[in-house]
Amino acid sequence: MIPNAPEIGKLLFIICFWICAIFLPVWLVSWAVGVLLPMLLEQGSPSMAMTATAETLRALTPIISVMVFIPINAMFMVLYERRALALFTVRLGPNRVGPDGLLQTAADAVKLLFKEDITPRGADAFMFTLAPIIFFAPSIFGALPLLAAITNNHSLYQITNLPTGIFYILAAASLPVVALVMAGWSSNNKYSLVGGLRAAAQAISYEIPLVLSLVTVCLMAGSLDVVKIAQQQDGGILNWNIAGGGALRGLDKAIQTKLGVETTPLITPQQSSDPTETPVAAPTTFEEVIHQYYPFEFLSYISAGVLIFCSFILLGLYLTGACAEINRIPFDLPEAESELVSGYNTEYSGIKFAIFFLAEFTNLFIVSSIATVMFLGGGDNPIPQWLLNKMPLEPIQKSLGAILSPFINGLHLIDPDTFWAAFWVIFKVYTFVFIAILIRGTLPRFRIDQLMDFGWKRLVPLSLIAFLVVVFARVLVVCHG
Amino acid sequence: MDQYMILKDYVSSADAETALFYVIAILAISLSVGVISDRNIIRSGFILIGVFGAISGLFLMLQAQFLALAQVMIYAVGITLVVVIALMLTNPRSEREAVITEGDEFSQETGAVQFIQRLQQGTPAFVAVFSFFTIYLAIRSESWTPVTEKVSTDNVKVLGEALTTVYSLPFEFASVLLLAALIGAIMLAKAEKRQPAIESAED
Amino acid sequence: MGSNLIGRAFESFKRIGEGLRTVLMHSFREPITKTYPDTVSQIAPHFRGRLALSVNPDTGEHLCISCRQCERVCPDKCIEITAHKSPETNKLELIDFKIDHGLCMFCGLCTEVCPTTCIINTNDFEMADYTRESLVYDLRRLTLTQEESAFYFEAKDMPKPKPKPPKPAPGAAPAAGAAPAGAKAAPVGAKAAPAEGAKPAAAAADAAKPAESAKPAAAPAEAAKPAAAPLEATKPAEDAKPAEAAAKPQDSSTEPAKTVGDTTAKPEEKPTASPEVKEAEKEKAPEQGADADKKEG
Repeated sequence: MIPNAPEIGKLLFIICFWICAIFLPVWLVSWAVGVLLPMLLEQGSPSMAMTATAETLRALTPIISVMVFIPINAMFMVLYERRALALFTVRLGPNRVGPDGLLQTAADAVKLLFKEDITPRGADAFMFTLAPIIFFAPSIFGALPLLAAITNNHSLYQITNLPTGIFYILAAASLPVVALVMAGWSSNNKYSLVGGLRAAAQAISYEIPLVLSLVTVCLMAGSLDVVKIAQQQDGGILNWNIAGGGALRGLDKAIQTKLGVETTPLITPQQSSDPTETPVAAPTTFEEVIHQYYPFEFLSYISAGVLIFCSFILLGLYLTGACAEINRIPFDLPEAESELVSGYNTEYSGIKFAIFFLAEFTNLFIVSSIATVMFLGGGDNPIPQWLLNKMPLEPIQKSLGAILSPFINGLHLIDPDTFWAAFWVIFKVYTFVFIAILIRGTLPRFRIDQLMDFGWKRLVPLSLIAFLVVVFARVLVVCHG
Repeated sequence: MDQYMILKDYVSSADAETALFYVIAILAISLSVGVISDRNIIRSGFILIGVFGAISGLFLMLQAQFLALAQVMIYAVGITLVVVIALMLTNPRSEREAVITEGDEFSQETGAVQFIQRLQQGTPAFVAVFSFFTIYLAIRSESWTPVTEKVSTDNVKVLGEALTTVYSLPFEFASVLLLAALIGAIMLAKAEKRQPAIESAED
Repeated sequence: MGSNLIGRAFESFKRIGEGLRTVLMHSFREPITKTYPDTVSQIAPHFRGRLALSVNPDTGEHLCISCRQCERVCPDKCIEITAHKSPETNKLELIDFKIDHGLCMFCGLCTEVCPTTCIINTNDFEMADYTRESLVYDLRRLTLTQEESAFYFEAKDMPKPKPKPPKPAPGAAPAAGAAPAGAKAAPVGAKAAPAEGAKPAAAAADAAKPAESAKPAAAPAEAAKPAAAPLEATKPAEDAKPAEAAAKPQDSSTEPAKTVGDTTAKPEEKPTASPEVKEAEKEKAPEQGADADKKEG
């Protein structure tokens, strides 16, 4: 028996409670703004203003849901981090406010909002105020394209889908650095200035491996569109980009053919996005399918292996770069508490500090959801399609459908596709967050020269090599895109 | 409903686009005036980031999403930030002293030297006016043919094709230039060899 | 170099993986922290908390003899003793004892020097208060009850103090008569009593049972010995072997026990030495008091 079972149970309870507390409001608000209100407005014969309002509301839904999501999510993540770190360091963690410390961060947030907002003497007041805004704003509009990807391209969020989705997210993610330098400089504090300079140097160095790893994934997927990338990976873990960017897709198909579960009701990439396959008659045997996807026999198998290896390296590169980009331990040099007394946000207090804090955790969430969409198949079920079809899920699905049908058909309250996609996304994203916390609990901080060495001499060459290898290996295997 | 359609048409019409263009252009121009007029050099560096942001807005209006984002990512954040950091690492006090001493010398000089120095000071203004008119005339010249066809939404594809087919030579030249710059930077940044005499003695 | 680099990379991955696994496994351990106000963890008996003055756990007598050693040794000068010489007994009497816990740094030197183990460090550490003045504890707040004293004497493994002699001397004659009997049966106790300068104490304290001549003396003898060796302590007393009994405490005792052992083992020295010391102290006491007053002023 695990001696620490009660504490782990409490953490799980907190996670469950807060995830409900995050996603129920977001879901209800987006439903109310995007579905219910327009529906009510457009009833009967609506006037021009009514229709215009309805359209505007629909268009604003993504932003409103993100705005509702961000503060609650940050509150949850802070608590999650503190409790999980407490587990790792054999402590109890916050357990006073509310049952088992459930409301600790809510209380903290209220406290921060009521604190005095101090601008230090000699500070550049305008820049000092602008910095938290610039830091926070990208995390709102950077998250938008991801909404479409993680909700299985839900009709409400389709407008956020951009053809250059991932590039847009990266551009948005690079903006906060400006805010850090600005905050550091305008604080009129040497610690803050050093923190800001470190932030800039670090972010510029680590953006290169970060972007290169994502570009390589885009190369494997053949698209910059996050929704497209997410949809390509449908159909189980073998289709995910982490498994060689579709290098194992042939294997998946072959097993599917062999087991004879071809008649899948869901749309599979087989029909939708494979131009090479459609003119040829559908292959019927295991060997044929294998041959179709791995045309160069032995060379193809090797390159599939290489692709899988490379995609793991890419995930590692991405996570490292992302950690540095959002200033998390072990790359938290800009806000090193022990050296720089919290670096760029030394002088900040009250709501400005709260905004910094909020944006930091939101960035962690966004970075994790990018990893989910780009590597772990977005809202896809990890169980392969052929295994899923063998499972006796039919009666459960039917009974669930029967229960939920009034909500689905009448009120459009639940969209089953979106619901399961969101479920898996939440699971995967918070797993990444957990890994980040685990890393925070394990690794000490880098020294600045080690950081630069590691970035420029190790990660950048590695990402370039991975890029080149993927470019050549991809030709030998039929991949996504 | 008709009114609504009219409104919708207006929003997506050329007039609205023009209005938006002027808004962004005025923003960009005023910010760039701010860059050169602000006393605080670091502040003007930050304003420069705003200028690049406004220009990327112009790119967005031209349906060039990729370029706009690259503008933000590389110019606004990457390059300007490096410039700002370089400014922060310089000593502003020495600059001010230099200006003062220069002024003192200036007053003591004779007429001819004074004239030359005035000429030297006037040169940047002359260059600025000259290049402005050159660019203005170039833009207003008749040889530009505005294209009315819709821009492809798939920016990246078009750009990639252009770079690897029609414009492959300039692209390669640019990459050679960058390579040269890179090597030059490495040469500058490399630690100098410590007294070869001692090394040879050790050998 | 290249292979070395790759090897090092894998090595470092392995190390990081080990680290992550170790940290993850920590989450299955029981937390070592306590939720303090709910559960107070067991404090070690020699924890140096708030200072207090103990009483004799058996009789309830105050143990302080106003020797001012603690006052002198205190590095922070946070102890202030007010005592006067009683005209009847010609001995120092404690009037007030003040410790400023706001000044005290809990070094424990006063408890080291105290000859009667009167001043002790308790396990109390919750002394937070609203004013600095309320951190100055007077005699009433410092003195422990009988039960508390008993607890600390047992917890700290200290030898139980001998009962003090009664103040007036009228009962001296019968007590003196009992003394030889006690000395005969258990010379240790008998010798210990004179060491304090007032032999009748034993008889007076145990006046209820004067018949057993050995008992009154045996009780102090037991008390004088370290509690760590109760068997040894009782045995020699019953056997009434003076040499052994005197030697034992010295051999197998801790520091405070030794001092008591000294007093028991060397009766000839003490009676002569102690009055001198006390005389000296008497002379010093007023001076110190005056000094303290000046400082305060």
